[in-house]
Amino acid sequence: MGFLDIDGVSKSFGGLRAVADCSFEVPHGSLMGFIGPNGAGKSTLFNLVSGLYQPETGSIRLEGDELVGRPPDEIARMGLGRTFQTPRSFSTLSCMENMLASVQSPGENLLSALLGNYRSHETATTEEAHRLLGVVGLGGRAEDAADELSGGELRMLEVARQLIRQPTILLLDEPTAGVSPRLQSRLADLLRGLHADGLTVLVVEHNLGFLLDLVQHVVVMVKGSVLTEGDPDAIRRDPRVINAYLGRGGGDAA
Amino acid sequence: MNWAQLVTTVVTVGSILGVVTLVLNMQYGHAGMINFGVVAYFAAGAYTYVLLTQSPPSSLDQYVVGLDLPVWVGFLGAALAGLVFALVTGWPTLRLRGEYLALTTFAFAEVFHSFILNEQRFANGTRGLVGLERPLRDQITFVDYNIFFAAAALLFLVIVYLIFERIVRSPYGRALEALRDEELALITVGKQSGRFRLEVFLFTAPFAAMAGAFYIWYTTLALPELFTAEVTFIVWIALILGGEGSNRGALIGIFLVVVFEELVRAIPFTTVRAAQIAAEVEVAALGLLLIVFLRWQPFSSLARMRRRTG
Amino acid sequence: MQSNQHAAWPVAGGLRHGANRGAIEPTGRIVRVTQLIVFGIGSGAFLLIATLGFALVRRVEGFLNIAHAELMSISAFITWYFNVKLGWHFLLAALVSIAVTALVALVIARLVYDPIKHLGPAILLISSVGVAFLLHGTTAAVVGVGIFGFEIPRLAAFSLGEVFVAPYRIVLLGLAAVCAVGLALFLNRTRTGKSIRAMSINRDLAASRGVDITAASRATWLVTGVLAGLGGVALGVLGTLTTDLAFGQILVILAVAIVAGLGSLYGVIVAAFIVGMAMDLSQLVLPGGYRPVIAFALVILVLLIRPQGLVGSRERAT
Repeated sequence: MGFLDIDGVSKSFGGLRAVADCSFEVPHGSLMGFIGPNGAGKSTLFNLVSGLYQPETGSIRLEGDELVGRPPDEIARMGLGRTFQTPRSFSTLSCMENMLASVQSPGENLLSALLGNYRSHETATTEEAHRLLGVVGLGGRAEDAADELSGGELRMLEVARQLIRQPTILLLDEPTAGVSPRLQSRLADLLRGLHADGLTVLVVEHNLGFLLDLVQHVVVMVKGSVLTEGDPDAIRRDPRVINAYLGRGGGDAA
Repeated sequence: MNWAQLVTTVVTVGSILGVVTLVLNMQYGHAGMINFGVVAYFAAGAYTYVLLTQSPPSSLDQYVVGLDLPVWVGFLGAALAGLVFALVTGWPTLRLRGEYLALTTFAFAEVFHSFILNEQRFANGTRGLVGLERPLRDQITFVDYNIFFAAAALLFLVIVYLIFERIVRSPYGRALEALRDEELALITVGKQSGRFRLEVFLFTAPFAAMAGAFYIWYTTLALPELFTAEVTFIVWIALILGGEGSNRGALIGIFLVVVFEELVRAIPFTTVRAAQIAAEVEVAALGLLLIVFLRWQPFSSLARMRRRTG
Repeated sequence: MQSNQHAAWPVAGGLRHGANRGAIEPTGRIVRVTQLIVFGIGSGAFLLIATLGFALVRRVEGFLNIAHAELMSISAFITWYFNVKLGWHFLLAALVSIAVTALVALVIARLVYDPIKHLGPAILLISSVGVAFLLHGTTAAVVGVGIFGFEIPRLAAFSLGEVFVAPYRIVLLGLAAVCAVGLALFLNRTRTGKSIRAMSINRDLAASRGVDITAASRATWLVTGVLAGLGGVALGVLGTLTTDLAFGQILVILAVAIVAGLGSLYGVIVAAFIVGMAMDLSQLVLPGGYRPVIAFALVILVLLIRPQGLVGSRERAT
């Protein structure tokens, strides 16, 4: 039994099978990549795991607990963090407020909000937020509103917002899209560091150059199910994988 | 032009509607919920107050219930009515967003209005109730009652403002704005958007309902035509004018609207037609202001800037 | 027989004119039900015309235009002005009025809605409330208080058995059919219509494929204006006019659009008659003043149980 178990999961939209009988295991603490041509079902899979969609068949277990049937906020509280293809943060809030809004605060209880007994928690969280913002390279932007950030900075903010929650498993959906090479390598270092600390990380990417250098294990998805999986080198040379990309013409094998 | 009377009226009406505007600001400006039926809390509070405090019906009346309870019971009853109404209409609409939420809240308010309008046994239907009692009317001799009442309404507004501001500045307020900005992001950090939405409804509605009781005290009338969607839209216009998202802006907006209305009303028109035209021009002007402010949003961006640095 | 259906048509949604249908009291339950069904068909026909334009804007421009009913009001009063004040023949007055209304719709769209399209449907909805206020205030200031009626021949209702049918309602039914078929043909057979359809599916995609979005948008507003114009004329034909009519109308139009499913045009055809008949049949058990409540109750029911309405559109309500 892995840390995260995907077992026979299927999801259709209208007549279209986005995910078809998909199964694989994610061991604890692994740094795993997901690749495949457009429409392979990678993002849909992430949405299924994080609870935004419910699968028609199959089960998804995190540390043995069944995720299917639970609402997404509950799954998030169970320790799952995720980012989106288009980065989502709280646009009118400052970066710091974004970070603070991403943790559970005692001040989010109506009574406590009125009484005001959340200050010490705020102070502690603010310190941690500053640290993490620095880690993702947004150290000087704490007071800037999120809607003033560039695309790449928004992505990093989204990652930081998940990190401050201390998740046990992190799902990143195309984290390098629109991100400068300098920021990409920063992100790669960050992920390696998190991996070293024991965080389980799943990354969907079209940017194969970034991904294959980073992860230890790759899952290749085509037409909603797993085509093959293995270490990056094996995948790079696998003719079926090359075919899948060439045949579809999707993804940048950059 | 009797300036003293004008000021008193503006302060009184502005304070009463100001509370409703603050409620809407919490719901829309902060939590992002488009409520096109706020007048319903206002009306629920007003009519519950009347129901509880009105003396039993005479032979001329058609209404059935009048419990003749003391004023403070009526006031608390009004707050409770607001809570119940918010619960009944809020809970089923939790998963609705945007225009769907707007329409459902609107529909609920219209159903309620239709009920008080048509149901004679409730509060005399269209005829309504007149000559309602004003609290402490006989005891206030040291100052003009209207001034006293204006001060009381203003005090009520200030209390509500302080309470709401406290919430807005807390992590709770931050969570509401996060909810308004990007509900999905809030969910993915493990927070329940539904709980916040319901709480906001349940917490703010009683204040609007209490404002309804104040309105009864002010007008001494309980007429369905005073509780139409027009109230909802006036409050919305005030909110947009003042820059939605800021409590201070909301109050600026409503007082601007009320001053405008009262100034128009104070003009000594010589003919009925002239007065009618003025009233309609006022409506048109409010509509125009709404359009203009939505387009250029001068105060809104100011409000946002103020919030970030303040 | 003291029926005067011309004046008794409770078009105004009952809020401010809780009109009572009781002018005719046929005996017998079945007759009463049949009569109400006949009324319901008439209501449905009117609602169809009134809502088609509203639904078209929702489908193509993406928002709920609360000011749609005010456009109808404007059309009604312009028709009245030409017909009664200037003494023109009713049909000429109606035609001119419809043309003017179409232009007004277009002008408002260009001045108010287009510049803020990027702010999203919620802001456009609120903006349309402002437009409604503006139009209502202007119309009421110009027209004044009072009840107004067109100068058209009074056609007495004829009876089929014990059920009375007003001739103008048959005309209306025919008009509704023409509108529905006409709109369908326009959207499916003409180039402009197809552009509009392409635009309503995906604006950017259509633009990149060479569709003239501005022209299609303009056409949409003109068509909506024409439909609103027709609706306004129908208002005046079926009953007397006051400046407060519009508000009651928009509520019921909203109900029809929601029951149909926001974004659906075909659904409006069915929904108009469902809502119309529900409202009229409710008279069996509820007093006349509650007629519009039926519409709202339907709205609440639909939005809570099946937000996508009859013909569920791709957009989800949640």
